[in-house]
Amino acid sequence: MNINVSLIEQVQATLAEALQTPIETITPELELGDLPQWDSMGHMEVMMMLEQKFDIEINNETITALVSVPAICDYLTKKEKTS
Amino acid sequence: MNTLEIISQPPIPEHLIGEVQSKLAYVDEVICKAQISKDGQKIILEVNRPVDELLRQRVEEKIQRVVTTMTQGSFRPKVQVLEDNMSAPTLNTNDPMPELMQRGELHCEADGIFTLGPLVTRLVEFFEDNFIALAATFDAQPYRFPVLIPARYLERVNYFKAFPHSLTFATHLREDLDAIDHFAQSACCDEHGDLNQLPESFAKIQALLSPAVCYHLYFALADKPLPGGKMIATAVGPCFRYESINLTSLERLWNFTMWELIFVGEKDFVLENREASRKYMAKAFEDIGLAYRVETANDPFFVGEFRKQAAFQSAFQLKYEIRANLPFKNSTLAVGSYNYHQDFFGRHLNITLPDGSPVHTGCTAFGLERMAYAFLSQYGLDIQKWPQTVKDYFGE
Repeated sequence: MNINVSLIEQVQATLAEALQTPIETITPELELGDLPQWDSMGHMEVMMMLEQKFDIEINNETITALVSVPAICDYLTKKEKTS
Repeated sequence: MNTLEIISQPPIPEHLIGEVQSKLAYVDEVICKAQISKDGQKIILEVNRPVDELLRQRVEEKIQRVVTTMTQGSFRPKVQVLEDNMSAPTLNTNDPMPELMQRGELHCEADGIFTLGPLVTRLVEFFEDNFIALAATFDAQPYRFPVLIPARYLERVNYFKAFPHSLTFATHLREDLDAIDHFAQSACCDEHGDLNQLPESFAKIQALLSPAVCYHLYFALADKPLPGGKMIATAVGPCFRYESINLTSLERLWNFTMWELIFVGEKDFVLENREASRKYMAKAFEDIGLAYRVETANDPFFVGEFRKQAAFQSAFQLKYEIRANLPFKNSTLAVGSYNYHQDFFGRHLNITLPDGSPVHTGCTAFGLERMAYAFLSQYGLDIQKWPQTVKDYFGE
């Protein structure tokens, strides 16, 4: 996986905003459930924030796939290459 | 009765009409009946007093708030059907309620509160025996739970946020001789059945009537490691969910009986057992020829939590609902569900596996009165026309 630093930082910032937590708590390997804020409600906040900031569409597949920082970065990288 | 029509802006999407309609009961106390048009544009309300401009504005503002909160955003859950036996033949096309009432098999004490007569009771027992047999195949440990549940327990699992509209509170008179004497001498009900006492007569609320069976088990396991790292339990008990003007017939009871098979352990343990219980019940439903389908669904979260929680439940397939055919209204009724809660209760109640991680939980649950109602809707009240398995149980 070749994910650029800028994208990880953007994703970390997006998650921090969605979960209302300091950016330091969003580690590069963070997964759904690792923080109390990243629960089911928090996850949907993350999904909506990603939709808004990265112009992606929320559907069943994205909700179940984008469950960690690496998975989100990987998804956005692939999406960027195909667009 | 007075009618109030409201145009929804934007229109309510078709897949959300049922969900939004069920919440309209809680919008304002003047509403006696609510109906959304098929195109989702028009909301027709029956209200208990003449409509003036002030009332219209008040109700319209609240309804638009409900519609916007529940429908905004683009996500549309994809319903997945896991079993489809809807084409099973059904012998009855009439609503069984009028005949059940006329024969004294049901007695309505108040909205959502019914007494069951011998026929319905035995039918409920038939289904309960089927579920007990299911529990036996899982070697499930039996539990009995109280009807009351402490408020602080429900607070701990965020129940107040998710389902505030359906709560039923329990209280008692204050421990005060004057207050108790006053009550004894003055208590009476008005023509609506409302008790004529002021809230000050009653103690602070510390308990509610329980809305679910399995919660009691999770609370019993809270704040300690789960012995052996896994368990399967079973219990049956009364549950209470207030549904306001939606309380109609045996479809929606305020006070109903829920039977549950409960799984606690690692993720795979819970999911495998949930699936095994589904397969067992598919065979049991086949034996009685029930017309039904099993599909992904979501819990009836209240307005503020609905959109996100429902989307999450749907995407992760946390709830499969058994929907039985109701031929008389060309509709279906949820009679049970196969549920997976992930580690929600493990995390919130600090129930841990041997490695210290939170347990996962799940349950298979059936509403016994709804099962009986769905069966009677499909087969009618003539026992001779019922499937042989059920006739055998009734000694016919």
